[in-house]
Amino acid sequence: MQNYLLFVTKRAVQLLAVIFFGVSAAFLITHLSPINPVEQAINRITGRSNFSPEAVADMRAALTALYGIEEPLWSKFINFWRRIVVLDLGPSLIAFPTPATTLVMRALPWTVGLLATAVVFTWLIGNILGGLAGYYQNNRVLKGVGIVAMGLQPIPYYIVAFILLIVFGFVWPVLPISGGFAMNVRPGWNWPFIGSVLSHAILPALSLVLVGLGTWFLGMRALVSNIISEDYVTYAELAGVNKRTIVASYVIRNAAVPQLTALAMTLGAIFSGTVITEEVFSYPGLGSLLIAAVNAGDYALVLAVATVAITAVAGAIFIVDLLHPILDPRITVE
Amino acid sequence: MRNWKAFLASAGVAAALLGTPVLAQDEPAAPPLQDIPRDQTLILQNPEGTIRNPGWFNIWVPAGGGWTTGLHQLSMDTFWYIDPNEGIDGVTYNSLATGPAIYNDDYTEMTVELRPGVYWSDGVEFTAHDVVFTVEKQADTPGMNWSGVFSQQVETVEAVDDYTVHFTLQAPNSRFDSVFKVRWNAAWIMPKHIFEDVEDVLSFDNNPPVGLGPYTLHSYDPNGSWYIWEKREDWDRTAMAEFGEPAPQYVIYRDGGPTDRRLIEMRNGNLDMIHDLTPEGMFSIVQQDETARGWFEGFPYAHPDPTLPSVIFNHQNEKFQDRNVRWALALMLDGRAISMASYRGAATMSAIAIPPTGTHPTDYHIPMNEWLTEFELDTGTSVIRPYDPDLTLGIADMVRPQYGDAVPSDPAEIRAAFGQGWWRQDIDAATELLTNAGFTRQGNNWIMPNGEPFAFSLMIPGDGVINRLGTMVAQNWTQAGVAVDVVVASDHADQRNAGNYDSYIWWSVETWGGHPDLSYFLDSWHSQYVADPGEIQPARNWQRWQHPELDRIIEEVRVTGFDDPRNLELGLEFVRLMVEEMPIIPVMSYNVFAVMSERYWTGYPSADNPYANPVNNWSNSRYILTQLERAGN
Repeated sequence: MQNYLLFVTKRAVQLLAVIFFGVSAAFLITHLSPINPVEQAINRITGRSNFSPEAVADMRAALTALYGIEEPLWSKFINFWRRIVVLDLGPSLIAFPTPATTLVMRALPWTVGLLATAVVFTWLIGNILGGLAGYYQNNRVLKGVGIVAMGLQPIPYYIVAFILLIVFGFVWPVLPISGGFAMNVRPGWNWPFIGSVLSHAILPALSLVLVGLGTWFLGMRALVSNIISEDYVTYAELAGVNKRTIVASYVIRNAAVPQLTALAMTLGAIFSGTVITEEVFSYPGLGSLLIAAVNAGDYALVLAVATVAITAVAGAIFIVDLLHPILDPRITVE
Repeated sequence: MRNWKAFLASAGVAAALLGTPVLAQDEPAAPPLQDIPRDQTLILQNPEGTIRNPGWFNIWVPAGGGWTTGLHQLSMDTFWYIDPNEGIDGVTYNSLATGPAIYNDDYTEMTVELRPGVYWSDGVEFTAHDVVFTVEKQADTPGMNWSGVFSQQVETVEAVDDYTVHFTLQAPNSRFDSVFKVRWNAAWIMPKHIFEDVEDVLSFDNNPPVGLGPYTLHSYDPNGSWYIWEKREDWDRTAMAEFGEPAPQYVIYRDGGPTDRRLIEMRNGNLDMIHDLTPEGMFSIVQQDETARGWFEGFPYAHPDPTLPSVIFNHQNEKFQDRNVRWALALMLDGRAISMASYRGAATMSAIAIPPTGTHPTDYHIPMNEWLTEFELDTGTSVIRPYDPDLTLGIADMVRPQYGDAVPSDPAEIRAAFGQGWWRQDIDAATELLTNAGFTRQGNNWIMPNGEPFAFSLMIPGDGVINRLGTMVAQNWTQAGVAVDVVVASDHADQRNAGNYDSYIWWSVETWGGHPDLSYFLDSWHSQYVADPGEIQPARNWQRWQHPELDRIIEEVRVTGFDDPRNLELGLEFVRLMVEEMPIIPVMSYNVFAVMSERYWTGYPSADNPYANPVNNWSNSRYILTQLERAGN
């Protein structure tokens, strides 16, 4: 137990270090961007009317002061970390003066609620089917699933998204193709809203599920194919252990360890990896928020999204690290 | 096994918990409709996309939220509107004002008579005191959109009575009224009774907005993808009532998404107006949806915007100082190839520095055609007539095999849609001009008089027709022996403002559209505003061109009334100067593929009935609502 606590402490320090360096790198990269948010705002406003040059100069000075971007980089860096500690990343510039964290918290539930759930669901189904296909190699249904999975797996998820858009939005228009819920329902715990959220989630979720299912299926099938030739599986079979027990307890469980690691990585990457899906379906999550922030040079918002993403990736890996010794009997903590 | 069950149970609970916040979104400002009657609703694409700060309606503060959500089209108002096309009853609309601005002789004072009987949407009467508050509040509050304009120009503003406002200006300005004249935006009047109690106006969200327009906010998506507006019961107590009752009971502005989704949404009856498409998207929608149509009934469908994509030279770069060089670069370009590459032939070409839109074809383009045809250019070796009045007829011939009867055959119609003409590609003349400027050939490459290769960069945006245009321009120049490096810059607007480019594809000409006066962009071209190299250039004239004759024209515009016929003469003088000096190479109008569906509504503006700009993010588009009729579906 003491060894395990030491192990947790070491990993926790690593976690904090990774977050610090990752977020600091994001800060520096963001501030190297050539896009000037003040000029972006001025272009948006003056592009709409005939402002005199003097008025534009006044506006530039006012916005520079308002956005607080005239500080030197080192000062911004210190203030940035000071604000992170109190979970305040300053105002978003594209939604000034709304705090960037407010925008992130507004988008986060959509990304996590739909997309993370879709990934976890895909992981479970893909691994179970893949595990069974690896063990019952002559089963025709599972062979058929394998062929479909091999066909889907190399297709990028955004291509699948566009295909779904065309099929269910154009050819057979039965599903909503835009937004998080319909225009005529009230958000809250009511069935019209819940039903609307679910129906709007189907296509973006399906675009991830179809491709993800194939990836997890093929990976698990390959792992299980190797494991079933291991001595302990052969021994269990010779000993007359029930086949279901062998599959569930000996084969899939052992094969799931690397898949669990991969799941953690995928969950972390989902914050940026599903940008195009969210763009295609105008899904109100972090991906589309990130795109808008990058295009407008909105440092605060980009950093808020990046901080969440980096923390999520590092946190997921941290949790998996902690789970490994528990889940895998072959791993011991020295 | 027990571990796995526990893990699965935990994952399930976690997933449920993660999903919970989705249901805890902020509620919209008003109760939503349970059943929006589609046949009483107009649905428009908001080109701003998803609004990241959806509950923000303080339009007087920069970067606060969406504008083209219906906020400035349906809810705001100011003194005058000027349409980029012909207007319902003339190009200028007296909105909150009863007539044009009244100036004193030296343009240091401006008086505006206001329309009585206009009410804010919460029932309070609109008066001159709202105007005074609007001006004083912004002049006193740095950071508001019009703070600079008012603090720099207004000495005093007073309400002479409830319906008369008097401005005293800090300096003579014959165009101060344009601050309150909507071309697609202007200084909107603030409701004094709302804002006078607000302590910090810069952080006030103005939700729900109280406005002077004929619609009020009904509800909106807390995620920013749609806004529903409902017609006011007392719509006849707004200034717009003079032009008729708006037909739709509800107007929805929504994020249309990428081109493919916009097409699908219109085909499925979920969008009535698309702000803009790619050329390919336009050609596709008219094939897929028989109710969809563009500005022109046939090819090229698009509405020419009052902006003018051009090749812009940085005149603070010594390579572009010589007029011979600029003209040589113009004559290296192949107008047909440029049209096909950028717009697939659906371009409206312009040889002069005035966009071919609104009333400009009759004001400028057609009257200039004879002068352009006879315009002679001395190359130093020969005298040529570079203008080709039939170039656009050739473009129509090129696209006719593919688009058949959709392409007009009458030359007048072709010129209206494709432009009057353009410069013919003349490599020999370009060679003579460069030689005259002291350039020499080395193989296929041009060498400058200082012995260095004639090489420079062309900055273009990352995508869109302007990107395609720039690519073809660079290709033409490269083929003619000029070493051009194409720079695709995501921050091209910033680079442009700072003058950090050699040449650039964008527009520095942007006119009123429906009116021949050029002050909208031209005043900022005066040499007094040209910044030093490396410093940010305020407001257009991004080419940083200075010319005494240009200054003379601008200075005369400044002391000439907006509707004085002399403005057209001054405009023609500007056009001729631009042709002779070629400081930028005007190429074409920025054609906007605005699409309108006649499934639920008819009566949209068109090239045959050009009463309004069809681009639905313009505030002028409010007047379209008075002309619509239900289609009966």
